[in-house]
Amino acid sequence: MFELRVEKLRIGVVGFGKMGMLHAGIVNALSEAELVAVCEKNGLIRRFLRKILKSVTVVDDVEKLCQMDLDAVYVTTPISSHFPVVKSLYESKVAYNLFVEKTLASNFKEAKEISELARSFGGVNMVGYMRRFSVLFKKAKNLLDQGVIGEPISFKAYAYSSDFFGVKGNLKVHTPQVGVVRDLGCHAIDLALWFFGDFRVEDVKIESIINDSSADSAYFKVRGPNDLVGKFNVSWCVDGYRIPEVGFIIEGSEGTLSVNDDELTLNLKNGKKQKWFRHDLGDQVGFWLGSPEYYREDESFVKAVISRKTVEPCFETAASVDCIIDEVLARAG
Amino acid sequence: MDIQDKVLLVGDNPFHGISHLSQERSRVRGDIPTNPNYAARLIELSVKNGANGFMFSVSEKTLAILNILRKSGENDSLRLYAIVPYAYEYVRLACTAGGVPGLAKKLIKEIIFSGNLRAAASGLNGILRSDLNSLIKTYLLYEVSRVKRSAGKKAKLESVLLHQLITDLCLGLGLDHVLKFYIKFMLKAGIIPGFNTGNFALLVEKFKEWNISLEDVVIAAPFNKVGFQMVPSREECEKALVQLPKPNVLAISILAAGYLKPPEAINYIAQLPNIKGVAVGVSKEKHANETFKLLREKLDIKHA
Repeated sequence: MFELRVEKLRIGVVGFGKMGMLHAGIVNALSEAELVAVCEKNGLIRRFLRKILKSVTVVDDVEKLCQMDLDAVYVTTPISSHFPVVKSLYESKVAYNLFVEKTLASNFKEAKEISELARSFGGVNMVGYMRRFSVLFKKAKNLLDQGVIGEPISFKAYAYSSDFFGVKGNLKVHTPQVGVVRDLGCHAIDLALWFFGDFRVEDVKIESIINDSSADSAYFKVRGPNDLVGKFNVSWCVDGYRIPEVGFIIEGSEGTLSVNDDELTLNLKNGKKQKWFRHDLGDQVGFWLGSPEYYREDESFVKAVISRKTVEPCFETAASVDCIIDEVLARAG
Repeated sequence: MDIQDKVLLVGDNPFHGISHLSQERSRVRGDIPTNPNYAARLIELSVKNGANGFMFSVSEKTLAILNILRKSGENDSLRLYAIVPYAYEYVRLACTAGGVPGLAKKLIKEIIFSGNLRAAASGLNGILRSDLNSLIKTYLLYEVSRVKRSAGKKAKLESVLLHQLITDLCLGLGLDHVLKFYIKFMLKAGIIPGFNTGNFALLVEKFKEWNISLEDVVIAAPFNKVGFQMVPSREECEKALVQLPKPNVLAISILAAGYLKPPEAINYIAQLPNIKGVAVGVSKEKHANETFKLLREKLDIKHA
């Protein structure tokens, strides 16, 4: 039986790329947790990590974490390896409290299997859809739940970045193999599911820009509860988005709500208008690395592990995102 | 402290197309502030109105600006505060070059082909022996040489600051040995070691705990009336400020990313202790004229 200690939680990180470093830095800054182990496949990075992280055990294989007596593990490897890594963590009994960076898996079948494993092994599980922890998207969710814009009728969602803007035809550029919908669009899909509940995919168009085999831009239409219609635009080839940005324009029976990573605007039919920036919504955190959302996300996960309570978005919730993405890709053909 | 030691720095965020209020605002601004010739003109105007330095992330863009300033002779009186690495560019490169290993390969190639033999030799040694200190040294030599080449011999590279992401990652992971090595190396090079941080109060606390002298460094951190990006709170940051042995803080985000008007923002900064100076980004000629004139008056800074 898994037992929690009263001292700091012992945390392991699998995959020490940029997201692994970020979560390791934040979680180690929390008073309730400490980084004690890292699993990294790249030999050169491992050699350096052993010298830099002097009190942390660095290994090359997930199963070697078995002996580390870990309370929780962060999985921050590329998406395609989430399924085998998570399966191995559960089956080798490394830890049952798992945080997996988005998306949960590279398809719905794998995501569903991971969710079933989580249900049978128990523990706390969470997926890194960090925008749910943004003060602006949280405020938008509250306003929608309160019915401030009345019944939602339609929405337009976007997820844009300039990561691959202006690199068309450059053979040295590697786009993530999972494509733009899973890599970037997943954030908009997760927020839409959180805001409105489940929906089904209708029209889909996916475009290759960088090269013939890459999926770089996508448009798709969805239909949700009460005939709500939503349109998504996703691309990593758009100018002016040096930092990835996700946003929504939501039309309701009583007005319009616009929200993105920087601001939230409310325009009601009764003439009332209001605008919020992060400054207005108490965007303070205990430790700032990356953006405040990451801190709140990690703090929620750690607190859930300590109190043995569930936390959202859990694996099951996040599997719905993989389900929608599979539908989008299947309809694109 | 000598009042002449105070610095009024032109910040480079608008020149990179950055607005921390909203990306939409930088899209509306368009490409004008990101044109190096226009940016150099804004710096010159700011200097005429009271600025005496330039704080910038080391990138192709800011190096191009320094080149223009060198040719016009404007660099000769300018105090330079360089931030390394330009994290955004490296994160973007990591995305397109195949993650952290791909980025490392690309950077190593750049250093080797930069012609800086000392840096290349130190880097090779670092890789062969998996020696982090050699790699840090290599990287810093490379960046300093890039700045000096663009800014010219007469420019005064006063400080090199570690980017916020690196400083704060070191704070989070407890990497005091990395910070200590960095400080030692920069002091030996005759450059003030600096730290850009989003966790000012924690940095002060940790430096004390790790016996790192706060006398020898400069710290760039957000300070503004509304507590924007002041972690964990405005009050805690103000308390930490009082604990410093001397004025060595460069206040950044003083306008809270454009949320505050300059007069109210500057009144707040003017009453804080241990402020060595401020860095403010400007995207229009009007801002360059008005903001620095106001800063110079309110912060009582004598023009060099």
